[in-house]
Amino acid sequence: MINELLLQFAHWMEAQEYSQMLVAGYYSYSWLEATHVLTLMISIGSLFIIDFRMLGWVMPNVPASTIAARLHKPMIIGFVIMFITGALLVYAKPVETIQSLWFRMKMILLLLAFINAWIFNNRLKTAEGNWDNDPVAPGPLRTGAIISLVLWCGVVTLGRYIPYDWVDCTNTTNTTILWAAGCVDQLNAL
Amino acid sequence: MNENGKIDDKTIAALSSAAIILGGLLYYWIGEGQSTVELLELAYGSFKFFNNPLVF
Amino acid sequence: MLGSILSQYARSLAVLAIFLLMVLVEVLDIRDAIYPGLESFFNWMNQSSWIGVIGTTYGSVYATVEALHLLSMAVLGGTVLATDLRLLGIIFKDVPSETLVTGTHKCFGWALLMAILTGIFCAAGVANKVYFMEVFWIKMLVLIAGSCFMLFIKQPLLTSRPHTQINPWTIRLVAVTSMLIWFTVAANGRWIGFS
Repeated sequence: MINELLLQFAHWMEAQEYSQMLVAGYYSYSWLEATHVLTLMISIGSLFIIDFRMLGWVMPNVPASTIAARLHKPMIIGFVIMFITGALLVYAKPVETIQSLWFRMKMILLLLAFINAWIFNNRLKTAEGNWDNDPVAPGPLRTGAIISLVLWCGVVTLGRYIPYDWVDCTNTTNTTILWAAGCVDQLNAL
Repeated sequence: MNENGKIDDKTIAALSSAAIILGGLLYYWIGEGQSTVELLELAYGSFKFFNNPLVF
Repeated sequence: MLGSILSQYARSLAVLAIFLLMVLVEVLDIRDAIYPGLESFFNWMNQSSWIGVIGTTYGSVYATVEALHLLSMAVLGGTVLATDLRLLGIIFKDVPSETLVTGTHKCFGWALLMAILTGIFCAAGVANKVYFMEVFWIKMLVLIAGSCFMLFIKQPLLTSRPHTQINPWTIRLVAVTSMLIWFTVAANGRWIGFS
């Protein structure tokens, strides 16, 4: 049911003039994708420095909360740009993206990464003061940092897989993959 | 500057190499920008983010 | 006398020598003479070297290494931005710039090493194509110049003395150059995929 609705929504987006213009544009899609990828340096770059500091890998002589607070703004700016460009990339190629197994897995990992970031932030607020100048953060924050690193590595890797067509709806007959990717037409044809 | 008031080796090296690299990169990017505008104008008559045959 | 000048200004003279060498390479068309001979090496990288064979045979391995390349680019860019924006006085205003310059350097080094190693693998997989791309050669030129600039010019200058003893415009010039270098490397790298 949800897959049918998603596919209908994707077809509706694909029919929009601006969606077609983004793909057909001489450079528009490439510029959009390049911006999405290059902004990794601002968003993930800042986030990983915060995580690395929690693990004591960078600037252990600077209070962890200072690193987290000072990099928060660039990180958020980076993620906002990534979200806007990412949404436009989906808008440009809605049907193949919504039916991409990798895209769906990426969205799940993104959700988990944001939940982890929310828990991490809460822990950071409650833990402030006692450990700030320690070269390595306390256990729960270190765990949060490691989970964050793993999840974001997964998000980037799955994002990189999206353009590859190994498990596209038209390239597989595996029903589990077809179901997970929401390949409605191919499942109905079986 | 070092203690004798002379500009030291590391500063000269930094200034000269940064000037050469920055100059080269600005020249490169301005050239890329110009050639992109020229290419799109030649193909579509004007430079737009959405330059494509669907837009007239 | 000459010996003392040479040793006193060794770094500046090396910059001058490299610049003159590049001018000579252009003026004497040495680049055009070397370029055709490299094609066989790029074909060997793509078709016969083990990294080229793995890259062209296993698409999933290639894509995973590409992702690692992107992740190392992200970390590299993060350290460069944090340091250079601090040098420009935009972020981390309450942390001494000397602390950031020394604190992020090791991380930058590892990210650069990782980016180069994964980059060699990625280039080998499409070596027969990148050989003909101008954007690839510009990326390589800026990568080499940028790595030398970071390791032998920027870091030695910024760790030689407190930053209050360095002309602020020198610091700003170095910071802007460093950011533009890594933006160019990353942007041209992304453009290889579109070319």
